[in-house]
Amino acid sequence: MNVKNRRAFSWGLGLLLLGCLMLSPFLQAQNFEAIAKKIKVKTLKNGLKFIVLERHEAPVVYFHVYADVGSANESYGITGISHLLEHMAFKGTKTVGTKNYEEESKILEEMDALYARIRAEEAKPHPDEAKLKKMKAEFEALRQKAKEYVITDEFVDLLMQEGDRSVNAYTSNDATQYINSLPSNKVEFWMAITSDRFLNPVFREFYKEKEVVMEERRLSVETRPLGRLLEDFQATAFKAHPYHHEVIGHMSDIQAITREDVRHYFRKYYNPANLTVAIVGDVNPEEVFRLAELYFGRIPSGEKPEPVRTVEPEQWGERRVAVEAMAQPFLLIGYHRPSVRHQDNFALEALASILGEGRSSRLYRRLVKETQVAIECGVINGFPGDKFPHLIIFYAVPARGHSVQECLGLIEEEIEKVKKELPKQEELLKYKRQAGMSLLQQMKSHARMAALLTYAEVILGDWRELFRQIEKINAVTAEDVQRVARKYLIKKNRTIGELVPQSSR
Amino acid sequence: MKRDITQFVSLKVKRFTKAGIIGLILLIALSSIALWAQKSPKDKFIYPPLNPIQVPPIEQVKLSNGLRVFLVEDHEFPTIEMRALVRTGSVFEPENKLGLAAITGEVLRTGGTKNLSGDEIDQILEQIAASIETSIGQTSGYIYVSLMKDDLEKVLSLLADILMNPAFREDKIQLAKIKQKSYIARRNDDVGQITQREFAKLIYGAKSPYARHPEYATIDSITREDILNFYQKYFSPDNMLLAVVGDFQVPRMKAKLEKTLGQWPAKKVKVPSFPPVKYNYVYRVNLIEKPDVNQSNIMLGHIGGLMNNPDYPALIIMNSILSLERMFKKIRTDEGLAYSVWGRYGAGYAVPGIFSCGAQTKSESTVYAIKLMLQELKRITQEEVTDEELRRAKDQYLNGFVFNFDSKTKILSRILTYAYFGYPLDFMERLKKQVERVTKKDVLRVARKYLRPDQVQILVVGNPQNFDQSLEVLGPVTKIDITIPPPPKKAGQGK
Repeated sequence: MNVKNRRAFSWGLGLLLLGCLMLSPFLQAQNFEAIAKKIKVKTLKNGLKFIVLERHEAPVVYFHVYADVGSANESYGITGISHLLEHMAFKGTKTVGTKNYEEESKILEEMDALYARIRAEEAKPHPDEAKLKKMKAEFEALRQKAKEYVITDEFVDLLMQEGDRSVNAYTSNDATQYINSLPSNKVEFWMAITSDRFLNPVFREFYKEKEVVMEERRLSVETRPLGRLLEDFQATAFKAHPYHHEVIGHMSDIQAITREDVRHYFRKYYNPANLTVAIVGDVNPEEVFRLAELYFGRIPSGEKPEPVRTVEPEQWGERRVAVEAMAQPFLLIGYHRPSVRHQDNFALEALASILGEGRSSRLYRRLVKETQVAIECGVINGFPGDKFPHLIIFYAVPARGHSVQECLGLIEEEIEKVKKELPKQEELLKYKRQAGMSLLQQMKSHARMAALLTYAEVILGDWRELFRQIEKINAVTAEDVQRVARKYLIKKNRTIGELVPQSSR
Repeated sequence: MKRDITQFVSLKVKRFTKAGIIGLILLIALSSIALWAQKSPKDKFIYPPLNPIQVPPIEQVKLSNGLRVFLVEDHEFPTIEMRALVRTGSVFEPENKLGLAAITGEVLRTGGTKNLSGDEIDQILEQIAASIETSIGQTSGYIYVSLMKDDLEKVLSLLADILMNPAFREDKIQLAKIKQKSYIARRNDDVGQITQREFAKLIYGAKSPYARHPEYATIDSITREDILNFYQKYFSPDNMLLAVVGDFQVPRMKAKLEKTLGQWPAKKVKVPSFPPVKYNYVYRVNLIEKPDVNQSNIMLGHIGGLMNNPDYPALIIMNSILSLERMFKKIRTDEGLAYSVWGRYGAGYAVPGIFSCGAQTKSESTVYAIKLMLQELKRITQEEVTDEELRRAKDQYLNGFVFNFDSKTKILSRILTYAYFGYPLDFMERLKKQVERVTKKDVLRVARKYLRPDQVQILVVGNPQNFDQSLEVLGPVTKIDITIPPPPKKAGQGK
């Protein structure tokens, strides 16, 4: 039996490798057409766009609201405001989360005024400590008073008690995204609560929520060695563009941002021209559009905010950053590359895949299997975002007793190889199949599908682009891959970041 | 919003007769078919009936060699997924060879077969964007397979080859050992990982199969023979369950499975039951010093229980209230002390879980946060929850219940797990019926019965230099040393 198997398998392998040269990538545009046909779109009069995909296998519906604003829209002094606003969007409205909005809002205004006076006093060359103490006590008293009007976390409770198992939101460098899921007979409830969220938001419990966000910063950046490295790596690679700072923002900015800052930011970035909604599940699109008009049609139209002005200039030379931490070494190399919309995007995706995706990729074979200097390595596009020119990053986790220098040397050798010799057809085909499969796997999930539709609509400019990706993937040639390697993977264009062990335990 | 409705009524009144007006008002009062008026999110919504949950037919078959298979067709996408559970686990490793299960699980796949090297398998699978992954965890071995349906035969024969004829080549064993040792070297890098690991040791005991972990010495002592024996002892078709979901026809799939995995001779393996857990309740304050952090990672609790406990449905509701209504609202929303906070009585399928409350808070509020957490914990054992809390917790569970059925993969994975641990396959549906009946009295009763706020292990990982108060105010502090034992002299070079 073993002997028989051996032959069968060697034959299988031979056929496969041979076959690759003539086979085409197995996913074509028509594989995705059936899905694309089921999608219905409506833009309300105020400019808000709804993208709906019917899927009736289960009586559930997933919602995805994409606000085209992220930390890349922030400037000095308000870093972290996109994320803070995301937190505040869970605090309720003029009717949700309060026992008496009129009374509550008066106290909230008083708190803001007092907080400004405290900040002003603190900024003086010689702050009056006694006065500060008194003001802070007053502030705490006001906070207690305001709390009496609050119905704690009512906004989230209302959604969860209707069965929302995925109520959440995410802020990235590029976007702020709100997600929900409900039994499919509750679409109108979602319309009611979500339109209220964006029509009548009240940023209550603001000062305590800032403390929560500060804990989040400590948790995700400050106490995590890799978190610290990523923060400094971004800051080094981007000297001008706001990809420079971490999504969560600087501690001092989180502390200083005012409620008025948040309200202003909300007015600017949360108008219908800047929001896109995708709904996937057991729904009737016409009914969804009718309800959307009824509920979201109330939101006044606005202007698309001015795009980010700053463009990252060309580097003058290689940059390096070393972060010391009580941790084992870690290596990051980032090369500047253009936005995801650029024509070189898919060649760069293929490059990342050939070099760094899977156990048969070049880097894994070289660094992990052959030389055993690393236990993990890979190549990723889209860091820290992909809407603007960003980085293609190479990373390696050195094996015990090995250094980042060893990993760096080998990665450089592999990069030079791509520049010298064209990638093999089978490597390119592997990329095409894996990229197609990945797209397909993501589309299986309602939640991911909703996210992809909004992403394609906003970042790629049209939801249909999602279904055109496969053609662009399939069109990449070996020459393209080599060309982008030669163009972008150059020393002058890179930033190297490493974790330097402070003391080993 | 209210104004909108009144405006509408006054506007429309002119056009309606008296009866019409009454009808209209009634209609608005019911507000179920008010097609033209916006509701406030807090209005009463009368929902149309929910479309029925369609539980797909699950075909169960036993191959001739005893392999149990669950099959569900899903023709939405041209893909197939398989998951298998093998009755084994790191709990069965010898004490001096910790890491054996993990290495066996990895090298089963990477070490290739008698016919193909692991690298060749990597190449074949990745070339067709398929994957076969194997691993062994604490109480089960896990196999995951995904593929495009056209590649079924190729992938299925590869899977059978891997499971039936693994070669465990020496070079890949060495590679797996290097990885394991690198994980050991890195295990104190992350505060969260330290907290979880060390808390489990406090609950189950440092040497317990449920908490112990590999050291350099235990990895070094593992031989290829150990690995082969471990594989031989547990990997057999009659000791495994397989679930297949995707774009195929059940009868044809059955035939294909029989022709491949069905040819694997059964070994009639006898796997012992999972080792029992002994627990002594004790109050103790433990500290792991981490001078380089500005935030404390806190966990406190004691042993948890099993899911087949008749009180489990009431505990589900208690967990929801303790976590979301109490810990979250108090520690996070009201006090701003933490980003992530929870309180949960953990229940396992076959092994008691851990009851734990946790939070991460800045060093300067460490003791204050612990006191508040203990206070909330006591409160739930002392007084009944409110009607509102009970209603919300039950609504969350019951209204969200449909999400247990929104993907065929999800349904099948659950059924596989139930079958593996010997639970009724409709366990989820049974739970629902019991959750519906949970009362405030039940919640208080189970809180009192299962939570012991005065007998908790408290663990803080942080920098005590900056704590608001000395941890001593909570009781005598036991310091835990997490220094990684250096490798034995001879074999310590990493490769």
